[in-house]
Amino acid sequence: MQPRCLSLKSLSTLALFLGVASVTPLGPLSHFALLPERADAAEPSPIRKSLARIGNTSQDPNYRQPWLPGVTMSSSGTGWVVTKDRILTNAHVVSNARFLTLEKENDPKKYIATVEHIAHDCDLAILKVQDPTFFTGTIPLELGDIPEIESEVSVFGYPIGGERLSVTRGVVSRIDFRPYAHSGIDSHLTIQIDAAINPGNSGGPVLQKGKVVGVAFQGFSGDVAQNVGYMIPTPVIRRFLEDIKDGKYDRYMDLSITPFNTLNPAMRKGLGLPDDDKGVLISSVASAGVCAGYVKPGDVVLAIDGLAVASDGTVELEGERVQMAEVAERKFRGDSVRMTLLRARAKLEVTVPLNQAWPFAMQANQFDVKPTYVLFGGLLFQPLSRNLLNSVQFQNPRLTYFFEAFVPRELYKEHPEVVILSGILADPINTYLGEFKEGIVEEINGTPVRTLSDLADAFAKPAEFYVLRFVGNGRPLVLERTAVEAARERIRSRYGVQKEQFLEASIR
Amino acid sequence: MKLPFSIFAALSLLATGSSWLETPSLAAPAATATATANATATSVASSIQKGAQEPNASEALLAQNLVRVTTTTQPYDFTRPWSKRAPLSRRALGAVLKGNRVLITAECAANATYIELETPDGERKQAARVVCVDYEANLALLQPESDDFLKDQPGLAFATPHIGDSLAVLQLEANGNLLSSKGQMTTAEVVRYPIDDTSLLVGRLNVSLQVRETVLSLPLLKDGNLAGLMLRYDSQSGLLDFIPATVVEHFINDSNKMPYEGFPRMGCSFAVTRDPQLRRFLDLHNSKGGVLITQILKDGPAEKAGVQKGDVLLEIAGNPIDSDGNYRDQDYGRISLGHLVSTKHFEGQLVKIRVSRAGKSLDLEVPVAHRRSEQYLSQPYIIDRAPRYYVLGGLILGELSRQYLKEFGGDWIHKAPLELVNIDRTQGEGAEERRKRVVVLTRVLPSNLTVGYEDLRHILVTAINGQPINSLDDIQVALEKPVNGLHKVELLGDPSVLFLDAKGVQAIGPELQRSYGLPALSRLE
Repeated sequence: MQPRCLSLKSLSTLALFLGVASVTPLGPLSHFALLPERADAAEPSPIRKSLARIGNTSQDPNYRQPWLPGVTMSSSGTGWVVTKDRILTNAHVVSNARFLTLEKENDPKKYIATVEHIAHDCDLAILKVQDPTFFTGTIPLELGDIPEIESEVSVFGYPIGGERLSVTRGVVSRIDFRPYAHSGIDSHLTIQIDAAINPGNSGGPVLQKGKVVGVAFQGFSGDVAQNVGYMIPTPVIRRFLEDIKDGKYDRYMDLSITPFNTLNPAMRKGLGLPDDDKGVLISSVASAGVCAGYVKPGDVVLAIDGLAVASDGTVELEGERVQMAEVAERKFRGDSVRMTLLRARAKLEVTVPLNQAWPFAMQANQFDVKPTYVLFGGLLFQPLSRNLLNSVQFQNPRLTYFFEAFVPRELYKEHPEVVILSGILADPINTYLGEFKEGIVEEINGTPVRTLSDLADAFAKPAEFYVLRFVGNGRPLVLERTAVEAARERIRSRYGVQKEQFLEASIR
Repeated sequence: MKLPFSIFAALSLLATGSSWLETPSLAAPAATATATANATATSVASSIQKGAQEPNASEALLAQNLVRVTTTTQPYDFTRPWSKRAPLSRRALGAVLKGNRVLITAECAANATYIELETPDGERKQAARVVCVDYEANLALLQPESDDFLKDQPGLAFATPHIGDSLAVLQLEANGNLLSSKGQMTTAEVVRYPIDDTSLLVGRLNVSLQVRETVLSLPLLKDGNLAGLMLRYDSQSGLLDFIPATVVEHFINDSNKMPYEGFPRMGCSFAVTRDPQLRRFLDLHNSKGGVLITQILKDGPAEKAGVQKGDVLLEIAGNPIDSDGNYRDQDYGRISLGHLVSTKHFEGQLVKIRVSRAGKSLDLEVPVAHRRSEQYLSQPYIIDRAPRYYVLGGLILGELSRQYLKEFGGDWIHKAPLELVNIDRTQGEGAEERRKRVVVLTRVLPSNLTVGYEDLRHILVTAINGQPINSLDDIQVALEKPVNGLHKVELLGDPSVLFLDAKGVQAIGPELQRSYGLPALSRLE
């Protein structure tokens, strides 16, 4: 949805809190945190039988030395029985998991669980349990609807402050579209409640009249805002459950267009719009997105799926004014949306097949992926990504520009992956190459480097010299094959490099 | 080489600038306070250090060749281009030169509205004007209103400072006594000057300086002759960078013939060739030295001389160039060829160079020339000149410059909009189009014409009414051809296009001027 391309400053802020929250409880520095941790107290209803404390031993990849397995960490959160033999929780509770355990109230056993489905774009996941006896005596909790504002809700979970189940109570404060901190680029419907939500509550159910009305998932720390907790409401949960019915999660569909308001009378006149406050201008269309070929920049969207689009880009959906993109959000892969466009003052109907999600994964926090890299002559090449930017403090402002302008300036056309020289393992063969660090690789031996695989392929081809050109740097980086070969074992053993490249997830 | 910024740097005009919508000139008063605090703190120390109670004869002579300079400067506010910032006073200690002139660093004279000279004894004062200024070399030459103001002051001669020399940094006590701090010159290197596109020779002195109130510009003397002007001082490390006499003399010689032209360049960039792998690739392994030409400025001197990308530069004016881009200077030993080109030559001179191209050696003549700020796509500095702007029905249009970006504060590279920073840093590299300027919609003054556009800022303007906009000068003509009574403004960003009512634009002018207090709707001179 909306804030796809947040500025890097806000990106890193969000990411920082993520990191803090997954290792420690909310520290004094964290603002906006996801909440895995701990437990307390009891509630005599059957609900407590259907709750589980989830322990996650996770391993976050090491982007600085991607050949290393990464550091393991422990964190915990809450999960609940959603169907007769499945547990629902937050994606961030079980991200990068290596080993998951479930604990029930009044049951000394630890049950081993595995992730069946994980949706990082809406922060939800489904777990399977190895031992079916886990579900003895559990009752799947029933999903309710969107609760009324001001109505009372109870939050169940295992937050910091004790070992046993804890319940807190509050009212529904507001219903709004808000960013989901886990992926950092998605916004969906969110419900704000004033019940205390603390690290460890993540994934736990929020109940009203015995039904689940949401999943607690993020909040602010006390020094930023008081009594502000957020839950994922049931429309988002239902969409997730519906999406995985076919056995796989297809993610949210995204129109990948940028709307601009048509409030201005001259703007309306110039676009050929009558004075009726309808229609929104499309200022850009990502050429890798679903609307490419159907919608053009400069078109005006008058209606989507028969719903009139107002001049501020909203539609009325089930009694609420929501952004036009929400219409696509509620659909699934394989569905389509109909749009009524005004192009050069002529009306036009298009049907846009929804066949892909937001195509630029590098802009989101990514989980459960191994970093791709190529190490050659002690030079470490990696594709630019939010994960990499969060791990390495780069100084070159060009990298930030490439990250931010990637979609708006369509840099992905030339650089589906922005391959950068991210680090140098010092060795006699690269003594003079320090100035190339943080550079963006443009070509090698005259061939454009569009992806990391292109680079790996070129290095695999025998050549006397490997000549790399970098964006905005006239000096070529020259590596002699003989010198690289001679240095290979030396660098491998000196720096403990087990593997010189990993390309599996690289775009081809 | 990086120098930690001294307390002077905070005062330097080139480093000032407050963020958007903040009250202007926050940096300046704070810095003044620091300077004053320093002055009080050190006055105790000075009484201890003072050797001779009475100034001796040579010191009196020296003091004769110094004048206190007070400048009142008023920079433009580039975020509100129609207004100036609050006036600000700077103090400098000027060196009197022969011919009735006074030398100070240019940052003291930048955007000066009034300059006053004062004799060391404080007995006489007189207004002065700037005769010649070079912001890149950070040097300014002043002249008092009447010739007899300096008639008793013979003027200093120049002395070339060498590494190892003992140099004296001169300051004046409040009572007019001379305070001379001696230090040893440790290095000379071609590094960046405050206008960070300029690199010229900088000398470095190891000196413990007791900072007096006059801090912005201080002369350095060698055996009673002028060896340079202070560029910056770091009180923590006791390192003082100075503009050496070599650079000052180039400026003075150049200023003797008007118009002043400035330090020339070749108009190309080079890469060092020390890496043996690179040398073998370039087939240079059987030779020594030389640097690889990596970029050639369009229509620049090197291009005119026929230098090509990929050439290896071997010699400049008979001086062999080593693989680091250094030559052997008679005064400073191995230093960057930049000194040879910029300081040992003048604009318009033909500089003989030898390059190697495809294994053959070639002799070329480069008509070296200064590259003026106006010749850049995004000007590195705009000083003493008012920023250009155009208010179009409430849209504030301006031209991208580094001076504008610096309004985002010291960390502007990370704080200013990335797209604009990128253009400034690359100067539109690789773009085939020949834009003169980059026109930016900087902000919007809300009015009934700009409903829906209020939040727009920092978007590039590419065309108006179908006419490409390559500078603000193109706007007036483009506005003459509205389509269906509307001005169509095309932007690179979000939105890609917007419209303004043409009649409304004309009619709203006076109202905008009145309600926002704009003296004029545009400044295009």
